[in-house]
Amino acid sequence: MFNALDVLQPSILERPLDELWQRISPLYSADEEQWLGELLTLAEPTDAQLKASTDAATDLIEQVRADGESMSMIDSLLLEYSLDTKEGILLMCLAEALMRVPDKETADAFIKDRLSVADWASHANHSESFFVNASTWGLLLTGKVVTMDETKDGKPANLVNRMINRVSEPVIRKAMNQAMKIMGHQFVLGRSISEALSRGKSYRDKGYTYSFDMLGEAALTADDADKYLKSYLQAVESVGQDTYSKGYRPTISIKLSALHPRYEVGCEERVMTELFASVKQLITRARELNVGITIDAEEADRLELSLHLFEKLFRDECTKGWGSFGLVVQAYSKRCLPVLTWLAALAKDVGDRIPLRLVKGAYWDSEIKLCQQRGLSGYPVYTRKEGTDVSYLACAHFLLSPHTREWIFPQFASHNAHTIATVATIAERHGANTSEYEFQRLHGMGDALYNRLIKDKDVCVRIYAPVGSHKDLLPYLVRRLLENGANSSFVHRLVDARCPVSELVDHPVTTLKSRKTLRNPLIDLPRDMFDNRANSYGPNIEIEAEWQPFKAAVDAFMGPETKWTAQPIVAGESLSTEDVHAVKSPYDHSLVAGEVHWANAEIVNQAIETAHGAYPTWSQTPADERAACLERMATLMEENYAELVAICHREAGKTIQDSIDEVREAVDFCNYYALEARKNFAAPKAFTNYLGEQQNAKLVGRGVFACISPWNFPLAIFTGQVAAALVAGNTVVCKAAEQTSLIAYRAVQMLHEAGIPKDALHFVPGNGATVGAPLTQHPHIAGLAFTGSTGTAQLINRTLAERGVAPVPVIAETGGQNAMIIDSTSLPEQVVRDAVRSAFASAGQRCSALRVMFVQADIADRVIPMIAGAMQQQSVGLPYLHSTDVGPVIDEKAQTMLLEHIDTMKQEARLIAQSELPQDADKGTFVAPTAFEIDSIDQLKEEKFGPIMHVVRYKAKDLDKIIDTINNSGFGLTMGVHSRNETTCAHIAKRARVGNLYINRDQVGAVVGVQPFGGQGLSGTGPKAGGPHYLPRFAKEQLL
Amino acid sequence: MTMVKPIQMEVANQVLETWNALGVAARATALARTIAGLNDAQARMAQWQLDNAQAQIGEAEVLPGPTGESNVLSTHGRGAFLVTAQTDLEAELKTVALVGHLYAALVAGNPVITVGPEGQALMDQIAPHVPEGVIQNVAESAQDTIIAAAGLAGVAIVCDSQHAQALSQRLAQKDGLLCQLIEETDTQQLSSVAAPHTILRFVTEQTVTTNTTAIGGNATLLELGSQAE
Repeated sequence: MFNALDVLQPSILERPLDELWQRISPLYSADEEQWLGELLTLAEPTDAQLKASTDAATDLIEQVRADGESMSMIDSLLLEYSLDTKEGILLMCLAEALMRVPDKETADAFIKDRLSVADWASHANHSESFFVNASTWGLLLTGKVVTMDETKDGKPANLVNRMINRVSEPVIRKAMNQAMKIMGHQFVLGRSISEALSRGKSYRDKGYTYSFDMLGEAALTADDADKYLKSYLQAVESVGQDTYSKGYRPTISIKLSALHPRYEVGCEERVMTELFASVKQLITRARELNVGITIDAEEADRLELSLHLFEKLFRDECTKGWGSFGLVVQAYSKRCLPVLTWLAALAKDVGDRIPLRLVKGAYWDSEIKLCQQRGLSGYPVYTRKEGTDVSYLACAHFLLSPHTREWIFPQFASHNAHTIATVATIAERHGANTSEYEFQRLHGMGDALYNRLIKDKDVCVRIYAPVGSHKDLLPYLVRRLLENGANSSFVHRLVDARCPVSELVDHPVTTLKSRKTLRNPLIDLPRDMFDNRANSYGPNIEIEAEWQPFKAAVDAFMGPETKWTAQPIVAGESLSTEDVHAVKSPYDHSLVAGEVHWANAEIVNQAIETAHGAYPTWSQTPADERAACLERMATLMEENYAELVAICHREAGKTIQDSIDEVREAVDFCNYYALEARKNFAAPKAFTNYLGEQQNAKLVGRGVFACISPWNFPLAIFTGQVAAALVAGNTVVCKAAEQTSLIAYRAVQMLHEAGIPKDALHFVPGNGATVGAPLTQHPHIAGLAFTGSTGTAQLINRTLAERGVAPVPVIAETGGQNAMIIDSTSLPEQVVRDAVRSAFASAGQRCSALRVMFVQADIADRVIPMIAGAMQQQSVGLPYLHSTDVGPVIDEKAQTMLLEHIDTMKQEARLIAQSELPQDADKGTFVAPTAFEIDSIDQLKEEKFGPIMHVVRYKAKDLDKIIDTINNSGFGLTMGVHSRNETTCAHIAKRARVGNLYINRDQVGAVVGVQPFGGQGLSGTGPKAGGPHYLPRFAKEQLL
Repeated sequence: MTMVKPIQMEVANQVLETWNALGVAARATALARTIAGLNDAQARMAQWQLDNAQAQIGEAEVLPGPTGESNVLSTHGRGAFLVTAQTDLEAELKTVALVGHLYAALVAGNPVITVGPEGQALMDQIAPHVPEGVIQNVAESAQDTIIAAAGLAGVAIVCDSQHAQALSQRLAQKDGLLCQLIEETDTQQLSSVAAPHTILRFVTEQTVTTNTTAIGGNATLLELGSQAE
């Protein structure tokens, strides 16, 4: 572990750069208890220092509150519309979306949806700020109406409802748009740099300077990136021409994700060439005009990549000797301090100083969410606010140390009076004068605080100011504000006179040390997010410290010398047969992953007979013991992660993240079904029967279950079916898809190793004719779980029914014609990202994949070209490469079917875009992601299981017709909805006959126990896999 | 197999959305009003089905998951159900079982089609209290047409084992969705229809996942981040 106190020694910067670099990544999700313990030693003040910073902060706050002019615009808004109130959130929702809605009908419906659920009138006139009241009046139309009605019935929410119904919609819309314009005007300094410079003059007269940003959404297409680059270049030109002579010169902040559509670790090569070139172009011009450039910090996954790029630029001639090329580092990141030490050493190595903005970090809650979703090892950020504050001060100590100041020009961004006062105290302690650092604040926030500071100290304060069209910037700014504006934030409490000053000047070290644990126990680690079972683990392949060992482990199974052999396993014995089939890798048919000995009717019968004989013993084995086998299986799979991922690559052509997700899902199935079995199968349950008597019911296995699984989730679905059947007390004979028997064979071996008796589980690889038919014809089969096509499910069902025995359960998960509905309130960038992932991830070979996107006509001309642009950025190729987004399809049969459909569509529909194929695509079975615009879903007769998306435009008024046509397809598996209008979302959810509905996100990747998965109608029988009703269907309910 | 579309199926499919949208509790309330006209054993069975449904599927279930996301699992009717009994089956509890199937199918959110005079009597009890089309009755002679109809979601039948096997084969021959067969062949103990989990056979499930942070921010989590435990 990094010793934090070392950073205060000048010798730290003598260490080799590479050694300092190596300290960064291992701290990605470091144990918070241990690491914060280190930082505390660095941040801990002496009694005298504590008193000095407390006094300084108290003084600052008291003066601010006494100043009268204290509240800035956004501060006032946050005070009145606190973001922990319904109104605060709804106002932001409106601000985030309304201005981009082009059609009146949708805008009116959206306004009505938002306004009808909140109590706006209670906010009217509470604030002295014109801005807040203007917003409120925009919401209420006129103060007169409110005042009159409020005195009558005192029920403002009802009043607003009445008003909405009474006043004509165009009037409301106009008022709302006006309110949003006011808000945009406050959040955004200017629509152009010249306007921003002009509006910013009064602040510069006070002594402030600026860092401008044209921030907005990340670029998804090359065109977007090009547009943002031009915009940044224009900004540089404008700032370059700035003739204001007083004070510090303004700078430009840039967001790398706006300058490249694939600013991500997997695309490092492109980042280090294409993005490097764009930023270099920008820097070159900025340097000519003496406009400093700062690279903004983004998500934790991009930190290491951003540092690689920064180093390359910093060592380039374009920045050599300049000293005005800087970057932002986030204190909430556990890697912050080692990053700063590395940067200081880099600056020393190159011989140029780096301007460095230390922020607390603006993506905290999305970082937490992502880690939980991906089952990562821990969090890259501190889980307590005071943890971040301690880190901030620890980093300030380093940045203000004399040996660091020589190479880093620190810029402290904060709106917290205590932080500001403490930083100033630390600066004094380290002998830094006010010309050796600066403060930064956001436009519209912290005015009072910094007005006071500027008066008191001769220190530079830079305002970070968004510049650009309100329509483009508001959504982004609102999202950032919502992530930072909970009522606990300092900004809110500072201006809230009810909050005692003493509460605002607690030193974070004192606060943190007063906690029982340094880590926040209210925020469970990703592994522990479920109360009673472990979440599956996923390595983070964006982080060097996790990616490199993971890759090395997988690579050990990727060489041609590693081959697997799958054989029928009956009673624990692997049987050789004459019917041997080579397994070729879908991405290169010259590569052989192994071979499979297919079973035959005789082996199948032997397996079923053995399973039948084993049933009485296994079904009477306590549920607890059966569950324990599954839990051991989960552990075994995680222990054999690398091998399973390698088989996913080589046998199924799965990409890296898909392979990780595959293992995770299999692990989750085991742990979840174990839990459910313990809950429902361990003991009889009492109930009152229909005669009013107490009775017990017990769930017991049915006999021999047949499990037939598909190739698209060769481990997860295979394991899920088998685990469910076994834990419910059945013995199992299972058949994997003939394309993916290697991984299934390994899974069966592991299940036996995990304790499943060898006579209770048997594996019979082969195809439908050799194995499927004898399996489903056998009279001992007491139930069947199947995932695959609707046609095969019907065939199996018929075969089972023809056996002349009592009907048995058939649990079938079949296909879908999955739709996504997008209305004009949605955010195109989110839509496109989610649609592209939903349609093309896993080469579209997911049951849940998006097939038909319905986009409201009013925004289609914006969304469709963006989809085309984003598709051009998809990388199709070898699945085991980090850079690959889309791997091959499973085999030639699938490829031929998909290519035929593409040919047909090229005749019958309008091609939107087709991604490029790799050079060596002919070696395997690749299909380029392709999108077509069609007139109606009725043009599609059946599901096309691959990377082909269809797009239909619809008119807002026809939404119900669209839902009808989707329902009428007979399929009902997944559906996506993108809309900010909750009424619309609820309406679609109510009407759509689908099994899994996803709102404002992608529609793939259902998580066991979280999003139970399965469809209705032609899409399956239910119950949902990974849901609470699944296991009972594998069992008989005995009334005792 | 030739698929037919009898008018009863069209009516049932039209009313499915309305009936399903009512929810278990509202359907149970409506159906509870229909019980008075049933004999004692039938009434007990009907009421038990309503109570059992409310216990098993009455509430949508909020599932645990990552922060910033809401996941809710609910159940819905599968679609039109044929609820019938083998005509030549002589068993004391046959009608009780039939009533059990009928109320289970209805309370789960399915429109039903009953058969023959026995079905008609039940329909007469129920129809005044539910939306039109939620329950329909056909003559025995029309039963086969309904069984053969496209889109029939399920058949709930009281019958003997042989009859169940034959019916299973017929249903399996149909194209389209896999029509569910829910059979009660134990007219002595009613071990299927009177079992708590059988209600699950009558439903389909829906998971609704909402990204609650699409517009940004997760106030609840932020609150946790600055809260003392």
